Amino acid sequence: MAEAATERPALPDAIDPREFDGAAFQRDPFPLYKRLRDHHPVFHDRFHNRWILSRYWDVDGAFQDNASYDRAVYRPDGPYEFGSTHVFGPNILEYGNSPQHRWLRNIVAGQFVGRRLQDFLPMVEQICDEVIATFKDVGEVELVNQFSSQVPIRVISNMLGLPRADEDTFVGWYQALIAGLGFGGEHLARGIQARNEMWAYLDPLIAVRSKAPGEDLLSRIVSAQLDGQRMSPDEVKGFVALLLAAGGDTTDKAIANMWYHMLYTRPDQFDDLRGNPALWDNVFTEMMRYDPVVHAQFRHTTREVVLHGKVIPERAGVILYLGAGNRDERVFKNPDRFDIHRTDLHMGRENRSGRYKDGLPGHLGFGIGQHFCMGYAMARQEAMIACSKLLDALPSPRPKFDAHPGINSPSIDSGGFRSPETLWLTFGAA
Amino acid sequence: MQVRIDLEKCCMSGECYYNHPELFAMGDEGASVVKPVDLDTDEMRRHAVQAAEVCPAGAIFVDEGV
Repeated sequence: MAEAATERPALPDAIDPREFDGAAFQRDPFPLYKRLRDHHPVFHDRFHNRWILSRYWDVDGAFQDNASYDRAVYRPDGPYEFGSTHVFGPNILEYGNSPQHRWLRNIVAGQFVGRRLQDFLPMVEQICDEVIATFKDVGEVELVNQFSSQVPIRVISNMLGLPRADEDTFVGWYQALIAGLGFGGEHLARGIQARNEMWAYLDPLIAVRSKAPGEDLLSRIVSAQLDGQRMSPDEVKGFVALLLAAGGDTTDKAIANMWYHMLYTRPDQFDDLRGNPALWDNVFTEMMRYDPVVHAQFRHTTREVVLHGKVIPERAGVILYLGAGNRDERVFKNPDRFDIHRTDLHMGRENRSGRYKDGLPGHLGFGIGQHFCMGYAMARQEAMIACSKLLDALPSPRPKFDAHPGINSPSIDSGGFRSPETLWLTFGAA
Repeated sequence: MQVRIDLEKCCMSGECYYNHPELFAMGDEGASVVKPVDLDTDEMRRHAVQAAEVCPAGAIFVDEGV
């Protein structure tokens, strides 16, 4: 039988769900995002048993609609049992839209905004200075390993009140945890080992802070009560692990992405920053639109949803591709162009509501609504300080290599964080 | 108790209506509105006070004596 006779020509707009599992999608998801937006705004991916939303206002709408979408995968009113295999252990993200989620969130949320955040900024500056001092006389630096993956983890462990003498050990555990989360396989085994070591290390600290709480974040977490109940030691440790990852890894990768775009995507705009370091604020915002650290958020429907003439049934898994919504040409002009002077994007501080007085749309990179990133203000401040400190300390920084393989990620659909694997800079006299 | 929102100050952060949906809702364009609920309960008093504390714009005013 001639195969050619039975083979149907591929429809140019059709989507084979296996594309989501391919390396091409991890490296450059944007062409597939565009096909989703243009031809399948509500895509039923039968292969992975899920639905996909990709247009800006559809993603925004799902984030806003707590009555139809929940973050967690269990029944909000049902019993909840912690999974034991997750690298982080039990954590707040699994509590969905429940009152417990709001309680857990409010224990720490106030620490990452406003005056409490301002109080921490001198410590962020000091840590940046310390890390920069380790390489500033060398003439070159690999920014990911030597800088961006060093600063945020040291900041969050300071906020938690962990002993500074143990910071290097913590950085090691953190890097193993993050690799385990992203890459699986042997990395997962090492990640779980790091988690167990970290948990054993935390046990006596938790015991001490439970009896004699201080001003630090760990003390707040161990002594917070809901209906007279404290968190169990396992819940505390899951919370700490989540803060390390959410407060460390995302900001770490944001810093690397900002420098990557200035060195390789828009070196012409890099020159603008030298005279005006406040523009790092725009670099942060445009990075969070153009190619944010996190591209996908997960929901399940709590009731039937009708959208663009399609029916998403109750209890269906839904992926919100905020990375796709951010490139929606229905909202942004020339969406595939990185531009820190963009006038059709709300620059500056984000709102949980996604609405701004200037009437401009914001980026979707922190999500919107109830599960909006808790550390949004902290991430921005920390990234700003780290980037401008580095630019200030290094004379004429430039890429060490002309070509770069670009931003990549482990699986986007498993929550993989996007960033360059390495980023070499040279500086000093050419 | 009375709860008032200064719409000039409100920056649409959403902190009140996402953290305290029992008392606040998103109105037109993203600004906050107080829901038509019985304000004179301990629960609503707690929501009002907590929301006023976290409002980044300082736009929520609670008068407990009324």
